[in-house]
Amino acid sequence: MPLSEQEKLALLKINSFSYLRADWANRLLEIFGSAENVLKQDAKTLSEEGKISLETAQKFLKNAAALDAQAEMDKTFKVGGHILFKGEAGYPQSLANIKEPPLALYVRGKLDDGEVPSVGMVGTRKVTPYGRRACAMLAEDLARSGVILVSGLARGVDSIVHTQAVKNGKVTWALVGTGIGRCYPAENRELARAIIDNGGAIISELPFDAPPLAQHFPRRNRLIAGLSRLVVVIEGECKSGALITAKMALEQGLDVLAVPGPIDSPQSNGTNMLIKQGAAMVLDARDIIDAMPLNVKFGLNTKKLYNEETLQSDSFTESESALLNLIGQGSKTIDDLAEESGMAISEIAGILFNLEVSSAVHCSDGKYSRNRF
Amino acid sequence: MLANISSSCIKGIEGFLVSVEVDIAAGLPTFTLVGLPEQEVKEAKDRVLAAIRNSGFDVPLKRITINLVPAEVKKSGTHFDLPIALGILSASDQLGQSAREKLKDIVFIGELGLNGKIHSCAGVLPMLISLKKAGRSKAVIPAGNLQESAFAGAEGFGAKDLKEVVQMLESQERFRAQECAEKEEEAESGLPKEDFCEVKGQALAKRALEIAAAGGHNVLLIGPPGTGKSMLAKRFAGILPPLTKAEALDIMQIYSVCRLLGKGKTVLRRPFRDPHHTISNIALIGGGQIPKPGEVSLAHNGVLFLDEFAEFSRGSLEVLREPLETFKVTISRAKDSFTFPAKFTLIAAMNPCPCGYHGSNVKTCNCTPLQINRYMSKISGPLLDRIDLTVNLNPVNYKDWQQKSEGETSARIRQRVIAAREIQKERFKNSSTTANAFMSVAEIKEFCPLPPGGGEVLELAMKKLGLSARSLDKILKTARTIADLSASRDIKKEHIIEVMQYRPLDRKGVSDI
Repeated sequence: MPLSEQEKLALLKINSFSYLRADWANRLLEIFGSAENVLKQDAKTLSEEGKISLETAQKFLKNAAALDAQAEMDKTFKVGGHILFKGEAGYPQSLANIKEPPLALYVRGKLDDGEVPSVGMVGTRKVTPYGRRACAMLAEDLARSGVILVSGLARGVDSIVHTQAVKNGKVTWALVGTGIGRCYPAENRELARAIIDNGGAIISELPFDAPPLAQHFPRRNRLIAGLSRLVVVIEGECKSGALITAKMALEQGLDVLAVPGPIDSPQSNGTNMLIKQGAAMVLDARDIIDAMPLNVKFGLNTKKLYNEETLQSDSFTESESALLNLIGQGSKTIDDLAEESGMAISEIAGILFNLEVSSAVHCSDGKYSRNRF
Repeated sequence: MLANISSSCIKGIEGFLVSVEVDIAAGLPTFTLVGLPEQEVKEAKDRVLAAIRNSGFDVPLKRITINLVPAEVKKSGTHFDLPIALGILSASDQLGQSAREKLKDIVFIGELGLNGKIHSCAGVLPMLISLKKAGRSKAVIPAGNLQESAFAGAEGFGAKDLKEVVQMLESQERFRAQECAEKEEEAESGLPKEDFCEVKGQALAKRALEIAAAGGHNVLLIGPPGTGKSMLAKRFAGILPPLTKAEALDIMQIYSVCRLLGKGKTVLRRPFRDPHHTISNIALIGGGQIPKPGEVSLAHNGVLFLDEFAEFSRGSLEVLREPLETFKVTISRAKDSFTFPAKFTLIAAMNPCPCGYHGSNVKTCNCTPLQINRYMSKISGPLLDRIDLTVNLNPVNYKDWQQKSEGETSARIRQRVIAAREIQKERFKNSSTTANAFMSVAEIKEFCPLPPGGGEVLELAMKKLGLSARSLDKILKTARTIADLSASRDIKKEHIIEVMQYRPLDRKGVSDI
């Protein structure tokens, strides 16, 4: 059902406040028939009919009046984005079915509304070398096989997921905790552009310029789950955003899978607990694809999986393998490597450079860890 | 009667000739001092009159007018006492004919005590140097500053009191410079006691400091507390090459103006300045009502160590940009501008985050990514652009520490540094550049050609590691020093690859996996 221009503006006004509690906003819409009608009511009527407190109703009306909905539209179009409204064609079906569907969805890029093989991949921002390897491996395999990766553009796991999709020229969706007019964290600005260029999308329910406030992030997690067919948790502590996403996925009736980790690693506490409680364990990308619903699984290319392909392509010289062995599972500084191998710093620097540009190792804060085994 | 005595004054760190004109005329006794004297010069009146009286001469009870030429330049310093006193003696006919003849080609510098004693004063060395340039090499200076005349190559007479000066002037002998035994102290004696072999582990940081010493490059050490950042920095002075005569003279001129040149002391080692992070902008860069050199100039030809780099105020960090780029500081005033040399090696040390433990395996860091980002961004991009070598340090735990072998001694590292500097001396023999880090763009072009394969290395680094193109010049300069350390005539591919190790901050936050 196409909406009138006035109705769209009214919906944006309501959305600008109700992203914090979309359930009663939806209820108000049902009671009063249209968004325009909701805004015509006074606070007293809203609170009595809609069963919300008078204070909230007043705040709601004040907030809705303050938003310049036309400017929101203009700004979104100016950056090449568009806004999807609930109830209109193009609004993702899976999102309409969740408990608190957003009234409006700001999108930069392209968002499919049908049945697509989308997988939510979430995890901690403080990713360990192990988590980095596992995440990169799974994400790359899934992206190559044609799965749409859904994540949140945060640091750590989210960034790795999006990077892997973009690197392989595949579609990935980022549900951000800010308005789409902003980029948080700022260092992911280029990644965000690459996501859009590769046919993916940056998506948010928040007003165009909304800042990255703490309360935005748990709320957007329900959207990550909402746009996914299942959710994979890579690494996450017991109390983390990743576990909130897992919880919301379960509430929405999705499967949650988890990557097992070392039992003494705080970043794996949450995932190990999920497995203990019955989540399926992920050992490779095939486990994830197997768990996907049949209707979307069709057409995925499961032959091109990571291990088979990369194992042959990696060939190292003797000194390179020696250093890789020294690095092992954890991470090592160049000092450690110099001490243990007995080589000079200048020599090691050369070898590590070659390993790093061939993506065999990764350096963060002066510590080297392997990208794969 | 009129008398005209030559003296000198400091502007910035350079001296200029000042004529002290004394006129004594009949009238009620007054004492007028003109020619833009500062407070301390005005106070000369009381010192001079007492000194004349207490040295056994008469103070004329007449109108005394003193003018300091050029009259439009502000004069500061206490060293005008001696020329004023002699001017009064000469103008009041208390000096003989031969003395008055001699006065003409001697320059007088000295502060008088009430008893007629001559005290040493600041800035004698730069004054003598510029006087010599102007062809006036005969000077009477305080005995305490006599060593400085030797450095300046001037004919200095070190006077203890006013009476001695008058005796010298009245004697029939010609003006004779006093011999001053130039102390040839062993340059090695100035080296710090701390040695690099006491620092265990941290091979990468040591290597970076060796490169820095060899080429004069700036270094940033990033690491949690207790990783030995300050320890390494303190030992850095011990591997620096010895001072050349010209460099020592430059340093001493600055020290002389700042009264840091002790009696008879020479500067034997490169200065190592480590100001506290609460330092004001002016104290760091120089300035004040009468501009004086700041810490950056006191570190000229030496090391400026800034511990807790991120704790310095934003303003004081930003003022560092000019000297790091041009190797000098220019302080401009409405009437005048002052230039101080400031060619130093910056060693900066900082924590990786507010709590200090980001990236540490000993203690967990409880800072949020935003806090860490904010902390690191206290060091602005333009400032980071001027730092050639950056090293992340990691703590050494006790077990490893016990096992780790003793490092190399400072003396051995220093030998390699000196050898590398010899190569550079040969390279820059026709230019004013002293080390690789100070090369001009033209010199980089001439001396740092990209080796075969070097272009590919840089391209890979830019594509895969996110290296920014603007750091290219710095990479080449540093690679030149690494090549010099390995006595290689040309920069090789591996030298460029090694430089990549010292540029962790150039890398993008998210690396390509």
